[in-house]
Amino acid sequence: MSNREKLKNLVLDVFLLDESEFRFDLRREDIGTWDSLGTVSLAVGIQDVFGHHLSPAEATSLASVADIVAILRARGVDFPDA
Amino acid sequence: MRILLDRGDSVTHDLEESWGGPATFAFLPQRGGVPEEWALQALGQIPASMRTGHFALLSSGSTGEPRLVLGSRIRAEALARALHEVQASEPVRRAVALLPLTYSYAFVNQWLWARTLGRAFERTAGFAQPARLAAALDASDQAMVCLVAAHVPLLEQHFGDRDFPGVIRVHFAGSRFPQERLATVRRLFPNAEIFNNYGCIEAMPRLTVRRASDGDSAADVGRPLPGVELDASPDGRLLFRSPYSAVGFCDATGFHEIAADEWVATGDLGHRGRDGRWELDGRSGEVFKRYGEKVSLPLLLESVRSAWGGAGAFYRETDPLGEPGHVLFLSPRPTPEQLHAILAIFRERLARATWPLRIESAPSVPMLAHGKVDAGALATAPERRVEWSQRLG
Repeated sequence: MSNREKLKNLVLDVFLLDESEFRFDLRREDIGTWDSLGTVSLAVGIQDVFGHHLSPAEATSLASVADIVAILRARGVDFPDA
Repeated sequence: MRILLDRGDSVTHDLEESWGGPATFAFLPQRGGVPEEWALQALGQIPASMRTGHFALLSSGSTGEPRLVLGSRIRAEALARALHEVQASEPVRRAVALLPLTYSYAFVNQWLWARTLGRAFERTAGFAQPARLAAALDASDQAMVCLVAAHVPLLEQHFGDRDFPGVIRVHFAGSRFPQERLATVRRLFPNAEIFNNYGCIEAMPRLTVRRASDGDSAADVGRPLPGVELDASPDGRLLFRSPYSAVGFCDATGFHEIAADEWVATGDLGHRGRDGRWELDGRSGEVFKRYGEKVSLPLLLESVRSAWGGAGAFYRETDPLGEPGHVLFLSPRPTPEQLHAILAIFRERLARATWPLRIESAPSVPMLAHGKVDAGALATAPERRVEWSQRLG
């Protein structure tokens, strides 16, 4: 599975989105279930799926799917087509 | 004082003898109970004044710790008569028992009722011997059965489209009333009046009764029996005072007397409803705060009923941040569509803090002998599988 697919599945799972709702340009305000507890779930999920730990400050700074991609890219995770 | 172990069919003779004799006795399951030494030690703590004319049953209660609960035979017989009146049981000629007799519900509502009112009593092995159970129900004429909600799917599974017209009273107790399966119960027992009984072993065991036809909510347990008082504490705990209640109990810390005028916690949360009826909000452990949000596990299960018709149960778990949480356990395994529908309900109707940490499934739910979910065994159930996780534990 590509990293793109992995991230998509993680976001669907954590925020209970339908597949048809997912886009890589989704922002936090587009996702009703992205609350503070959702941020914790997302951070744990990133650790589980990509093996990278986010600090609380990094986790709370995430404001979009693009931010997740950016922070993972900065850790060396490859997102060639995102 | 003596210990009477439930050794199966022959025990009713021993029970009759023990009930008719002066000595206080403990009636215990032969298997899955407590060591006989523990029971003997517990009995030894009973005050001299209660060593005659009483009986004791075993409960793990809401704490999971064994308790020997002591009842008065005079009070229990009075309760059997009160139930007879309230449930209009005069036409009933026979009690057919499916549940273990050491369970206070079967003991008082069926065995003692039959003994006190001079009716026939027939014991079956329940679903351990379905053919014998079916034969007993088929042969029944003006009979009464006492069920727990978990029996309804088992009746359907084992007996399909059959019905049992000879059963004229069906009682439920011991767990949430199966309101959403009433049509099935009515089909299985087309001539029966159906009752929701509520109580706890400390009440020995009944507190309220309602006819199924008098309400449309599983939480509605009806009105208190004559002489029984219910109240809710400021934090929502349901309390009772009853002329039929247990007189005390023994646990690891000794004997604890229940005074005649004492308010006793049922272990449930509840509130006064309309017309003097009472409604349950859940077991004390089933309602808790998580990240400041009130979580009610019974309400949570209720909210997914439109998407899930199978069995549902919960076990508690603390999340990695130290907050209390819960895991939703489903059986049989949900289809992807059902799982999607359940998650859609979470998303649309429930705050995230009330979502379970995980949804798990297994082909069957671990059950205790008396038909309640074995909550302690859910986390280690065979073939357990994670269907969805919040990734918080």
